Amino acid sequence: MKFLCIACDEPMKLEESTPPADGAGFTATFRCPSCGQGVAMLTNAWETEAVGSLGVKLGNGRESKCPMSSMMATAREAAAGGSMIAAARPAEAVGEGLTWTAGALERLDRIPEMVRPMAREGIERYAKSAGRSVVDEVLLAEARAALPA
Amino acid sequence: MKTYRDITGDGGSQIVAQVVAARQSMTRALAGVRHLVAVGSGKGGVGKSTVTIGLARALAAAGQRVAVLDADLNGPTQAQMAGVRGRPWIPGEDGLELPRTAEGLGVLSMGSVLERSAALRFDTVSQGDEQVWRGTRELTVLGQLLAGVRWGELDLLLLDLPPGAERTLQVAQLLGPRAVFVLVTVPSAVAREVVARSLDALTGNGVAAPPTGRVVGYVENMAGYWCRDCGAVRPLFPAAEAPLPVPLLGSIPFDPALAAACDSGAAPPFDSPAGDALRTAAQRLLAALDSTESTP
Repeated sequence: MKFLCIACDEPMKLEESTPPADGAGFTATFRCPSCGQGVAMLTNAWETEAVGSLGVKLGNGRESKCPMSSMMATAREAAAGGSMIAAARPAEAVGEGLTWTAGALERLDRIPEMVRPMAREGIERYAKSAGRSVVDEVLLAEARAALPA
Repeated sequence: MKTYRDITGDGGSQIVAQVVAARQSMTRALAGVRHLVAVGSGKGGVGKSTVTIGLARALAAAGQRVAVLDADLNGPTQAQMAGVRGRPWIPGEDGLELPRTAEGLGVLSMGSVLERSAALRFDTVSQGDEQVWRGTRELTVLGQLLAGVRWGELDLLLLDLPPGAERTLQVAQLLGPRAVFVLVTVPSAVAREVVARSLDALTGNGVAAPPTGRVVGYVENMAGYWCRDCGAVRPLFPAAEAPLPVPLLGSIPFDPALAAACDSGAAPPFDSPAGDALRTAAQRLLAALDSTESTP
């Protein structure tokens, strides 16, 4: 989708985007670089989801409340089973009392957004069973080594 | 006035660029995979998952480096069948480490990390309207799994596809022309008809061919019931219909021991007609793949 300023015959540039709130759509403003004319694109919830379902981050890659990025945000939040997908089970503070180091979180960020909460929960279960309070790269390597090669 | 094609770029939304980047990362992640083999059907309940894990184990036993991706995100079974349920997914230096069975078979299945009775759910801003976007989202997640796992060097990556003729085609288009397909059916006219429709969808059959890989053959599952007591194989279905117009890789008789092995995550009984058929199908699959290498 592109926006054209009819008066200037110039393509408009994305200026601002507002993450969609729950149950609402997505807002993005575009402005003509020549005359400054602005236009706001307002999508409804269906349209927002349709684009978000492609795995793109709406808002020029910024985190927003679009589907996948909200999962990413959740994964970064403190501990506890706030899985966006695991569904129908009570929230369980698996990670309570555990600290993730920056290096371990970086690794978590490199796996698919969809499965981060589940991977996190599994690691935290392992850490707790091993009597550890810190999830770092050493513990991740240890957990890997404990599995069949 | 300028038209869409006259304007370079998308004004800064980078939506197309993100979709293209996702596709490229999938290609990179699969660079070390020699053959991408999708096991599908279109029909549910014919034993796609049983055939997939059986083929994978037979191929691994023959010295092939094999992994399985359970592409049925809503009804994952491979974790249970391979015995990796509950095993944590480890974030590695460059993506998710591939979970492996004790025998070294790589198996990635949502069943490893989803509760036994939990449904796959997504966060949403359009509650109650999942039918609008859910199918696309699931395909996107499947692409992210393909891109986000360290598959390493593999001879074969088998994908256990979800049921549904339309889903089979959608996954085929996601995978692109480098994937090859093995279809699974049972010797019933109803199942054969549905699988024939999937075959038609995948091959184009005279219509504009879709950009999918080729179908290397099919496996006939539940091809009779093998009685361990008397050794006879008796029919489970009426006399067989005409075969599908692609090579038959194998006919696997129903064997309760095979079903039990799948339920418990154990290797199938290779010292049985079902095991023999799986080994034969694996050998024929390898021969078909070697005859015309997949395009990397």
